Order: sequence, then structure tokens, then C-alpha cells
Amino acid sequence: MPVEQLSRVRKSILPQVGDDWSHIASRELPDLSEKDAIASLQSWNLHVYMRAAARMGTGSNNILPSDVIFVEPPLAYG
Amino acid sequence: MYDLVIRNGKVVDGSGLPAFKADVAVMGNRIVKIGQVPESAREEIDAAGKIVAPGFIDPHTHFDAQLLWDGCAKPALAHGVTTIVPGNCSLSLAPLKAKHRMRLVGMFNQIEEMPLKAFKEGVVWDWETFSEYITRIRKGLAINVAPLVGHSVIRLWVMNEAATERTATDAEIAEMQSVLRECLDAGAAGLSTSYVDMDEKLQPVPSRYADAREVDALASVLGEYGRVLQIVPEFYDSDLTIARLDQLAELSLKYNIPTTFSPLFMNADNVDAVNRVMARVDEQFARGARVWPQVQTRPIDISFSFSVPSLLFMRFPTWYKIMRFGTPDEISAFFSDSENRVKLIAEAAPLEGLWPTLILRHVETDANQKYVGKTLKEIAELRKTTPVEAMMDLSVEEGLEAHFLSAGMGHNDDAKVAGLLNHPRVHIGASDGGAHILSFSTYGDTGYLFSHFVRDLNLMTVESAVKKITSDTAAIWGIPERGMLKEGMIADIAIFDPSTIARGEEKFVNDVPGDGHRYVRDSHGVDTVIVGGGIAWSEAKGYQDARGEVLPGVREMVAA
Repeated sequence: MPVEQLSRVRKSILPQVGDDWSHIASRELPDLSEKDAIASLQSWNLHVYMRAAARMGTGSNNILPSDVIFVEPPLAYG
Repeated sequence: MYDLVIRNGKVVDGSGLPAFKADVAVMGNRIVKIGQVPESAREEIDAAGKIVAPGFIDPHTHFDAQLLWDGCAKPALAHGVTTIVPGNCSLSLAPLKAKHRMRLVGMFNQIEEMPLKAFKEGVVWDWETFSEYITRIRKGLAINVAPLVGHSVIRLWVMNEAATERTATDAEIAEMQSVLRECLDAGAAGLSTSYVDMDEKLQPVPSRYADAREVDALASVLGEYGRVLQIVPEFYDSDLTIARLDQLAELSLKYNIPTTFSPLFMNADNVDAVNRVMARVDEQFARGARVWPQVQTRPIDISFSFSVPSLLFMRFPTWYKIMRFGTPDEISAFFSDSENRVKLIAEAAPLEGLWPTLILRHVETDANQKYVGKTLKEIAELRKTTPVEAMMDLSVEEGLEAHFLSAGMGHNDDAKVAGLLNHPRVHIGASDGGAHILSFSTYGDTGYLFSHFVRDLNLMTVESAVKKITSDTAAIWGIPERGMLKEGMIADIAIFDPSTIARGEEKFVNDVPGDGHRYVRDSHGVDTVIVGGGIAWSEAKGYQDARGEVLPGVREMVAA
């Protein structure tokens, strides 16, 4: 089965060197304002964003290099 | 004359084909004949009424530390398990520089719930490299070991403190590749990594600071050897699990390696999510990738006291912080303070549904014996308080040695779990043997498979259950010459009574170095366990021969 024929799943990326919310927002959601794009990304990635409360992560950027970052909301399964 | 003949048993050879009556003859460490064996032997076992099967292989354990003081991995061997895979979830005990020992002990304590005192009093630290660790555990080994090397440990070896600060440089990645090659040459069965675990300071473990480039580079080394990559994905979320299994599938296809992820639980509230994960597994296998989900047989039961941090409270920060960092006196004082109690009670509100089933299983004082076996709801009514306050009060009164049991918390819908266990692309495993020793017994999952799913519920055949935990596992992991009963194969054999095999009742025993305790289950219905042609354990005589091996990798076997 070619990769193109895999069923659609929620779109995600793995961080690139130096990625933070702002970088990912501008690269993955270029049609949104930076503020809206970052807010969307954070709401779709609570497993990462909520680390801020637990003071985990690399300095001020709480995205870990191994994180899966969703770049769209959850799909509707039915 | 043979060394050993097993007579009159029913052979379930691990192929999945129907059982047949035959004798099994062994010379040295190999099976030399299956069929009619008129010749005599130095030792004979009458297996009438019993099943003669390949020894079971447990692919997800954390016996790394226990093997340093117990070469039998008790009681796994007595359950018929003849091969274990330690070193899962990014953690192994080698390679490990002396200066990092306590750091790794902290991680084992936090993640696998291994007591610090067991390391202090049970471990003589006389190794650094993987090869030296292998030499160390070979002494007195009665069970076979196919050890993984942990990604977090390799990272720590190469990057020191920076392992939990940043991504690796190209030079550091190249060094990690060299270290991994050394480990694989020394006998490592593959590499493990984790995307969820936290260290003793509740910070992400080193493997979580690796970017995709680093994981790809390490997978390429696994590809040189055809060895396994094991991961712990974010198993609490199906979208994340699917993203991880897609990542594994790409690595599997790119480097032609088997990969496995664990755990995968089936609960009443996540049936659709698990079905989505399995549909994705099916699709990736259809592409030619190997992404084996590991599924455990037993339901989730968690015991706890407040003398050690418990998994059950990990999502409640105030509770977990005091359990993790407080001394016993500090925890008792914290529980007794009225202001703290208000906060703790509010935070524990999501546990409301547990109180009618959460049982007090053990206390030290005579005064509280009357509550043992009762639920916290019942105890609260008797003491005219709330369940959460009764739990705290009892803990303080017992010097934190009040032990509670929350049984059947999940993975307990038999039909659905059996559906997973029977699935051709599910790998039965994830026992966590040797870990979480104060939360639940990680021994006896094979007995539970045969007693519950095969005998009581008739949801699996004994042949398919045996195949799943023997030849399938050996094939997935590339373990040569084991996993089947065939002439020429190594004689790792489990003899058991299909009408009585089971896991025993969970019991609390005091056999961990440092006067430590753990939950275990005895084996029932297992008659004899043979490792490398020697009787390693029998119901009649207990633990005997120690012929366990660190299993050589494929490359070594080919070279030999």
C-alpha cells in the first residue's frame, strides 16, 4: 500500500531545530495571524502547552524536540 | 541414552497447529527427537495429562536490577517464562558511567518504582559498559535474557548533563551510534525509547530531548543489525499513539527493522480509539512496515500506600508532590494539617467513583484490622467521615503502611481484550515484569492467559495462546533457535497442566534487597520449566539448574 493510500489521520509534525510556537505557527498555519495561529496550535496541543504549568521543557520554550505537534484540530470520527 | 526425556505429554509446539501426543528427547541443550522415544534417559519426566510447550518469552520487562541479585528473575521462571527482555522504555542499567549511577537509580525509582534501598543494598556497581553489564549478569543466570539498551542511558553516556537540556550535535549523534553498535555487538536485542516518562525531578527523561534526526540515526544502526526498536508512546491519546506508530512505520520501512510500542489498553471508554489505532496498525503492516502493539493479558489493578509515590496519584499534583518528595513524617504531617486537607480533598474529587470499590488490604496495627477487606466507602461510614479523609487518617495511624487496592480499573472487558489478544498483528506482552513492585504483581500474566482466556472463557485455543507467547515473539524479536519445539531447536520448555494453570493470588512478600517488599503471584499448574536442556524450576524441587544465556544477536549467530 503506497503512503498516499493510507487513510487520513490528524495531521502532525515533529519539531525542527529551533522550533517554538511562533516558528511552527508561521510555517504550518501561514494563512492565520501569528496570534491566532499560536493560540490554535496551543489549544490543539495541550499535552505540550500544559507543561508550562508544570515548568517542564527547554527553558522558556516548552516544546521538546521529540514532541508530536498537531497542526489541525481533532478529526470528527463517526 | 538421552540426557532428558519428557514422556506421555501433549505437545503444543508453538506453531499454532493442533496439539499431539509425543515424547520429547533432549541431549545437551537441544531437542533431538519428538515422537516415540523408546530409549532411556538420565532423567525422565512423566508429563501425562500435561502440555509440553516451548518456554514462554516475555518481551517487556524491567528485570535489569533484579538480575543482579536474582538470576532466576523470580517468580517469572516458575510461571514458565524462559526468556525475558529487560531494558524497555529507554532505561537500561548499561552503558552507565560511575558518575551517572545515582541519576539512573533515581529514574528507575521514579518510572519503574524500584526502591532506592534495593539498589543501595542489592547492587555491587562493577560495570560501566554494556559488555561489562552482560558479563556481570551472566553469573548464575537461570533464565534467558535478550536485553534492550535504553536510549536515555546512551544519551546520558554521550552528553552527560546536556542529555536533558538540548538536542544533540552531529558529533554527539555519531558517538551515540558508535555506543549503540558496541551494545548490539555485546548482545543487546535492540534499542528502547520513551516519549512519556519523567525522571526523579519530574522532568522529561533524556530520550525526550532527542529530535527526529537523532532517532533516525539510531534506527539506521538498528538496521545494520536487524534489531528491534521499542517505544513508549503517549498511550493516553489515540491521535498521539497513531502519530507515533506512523513514525515507527517509516523507520521500519526505511531501515527494515521490527518496531514495537507498548502499552495499548482496551477500556470501556476507549474502544473506538483502540479500534482506530488497530486500523492504522493494519494499514502500516499492509505497507510492509512492522509496528507491533504490545497488549497485556491482565486487567489493571493498582495497590498503593503513601510510603512510596503511586501511579494512581500522578495526575494530582499536590498528592504526588508530597508522595514523591516528602519524608514519611512530612507526609503524615501534611495529611494532618487542616488547610492541606481541604486542598487534597478538592484535588481528589475525580477519584469519587473509586471509593465504593477501593479496598483496604493491609494494616500494621491491631486497632485497624477490623477494616481490612472493606471498601473505603464502608470504612468512611463506620468512622463517620469521608472516604478520602478515612484514607488519609488510616495512613497516618499506620505510619503510612496502610495498603489499599483499586482492582479492575481497566483493560477488563474480556471479550474486547480477547479480540486484541487474538489479533494477528498484536504482540502479547507488556507485563512490566520486575517493575512497579509496590503497585501490582507483574508476574503470572501467562497463567492468566491460559486460565482466563483459554480455559474459563474459551476465547482462545491453547495452541494459539502458546504460539502468541513463544514462536510469534521469537520471530518478532529475531530470537534464533527458540520459541518452537522442533528437533534441533534449543530445549527451552514449559510443562503445565491445562486444567489448573493460573496465576496465584497477589501477595506482599519481603524478598527485595534492603528489607524491601513487593507484590508477587505464585505459579499454579506449571510442573517443570526447562532452560537450555536443564531443569531450571519444578513444582517438586523449586529452582535448580542455571543454564540461562544472554541471547546472542542475529549477527553473532550468523558469524558462528
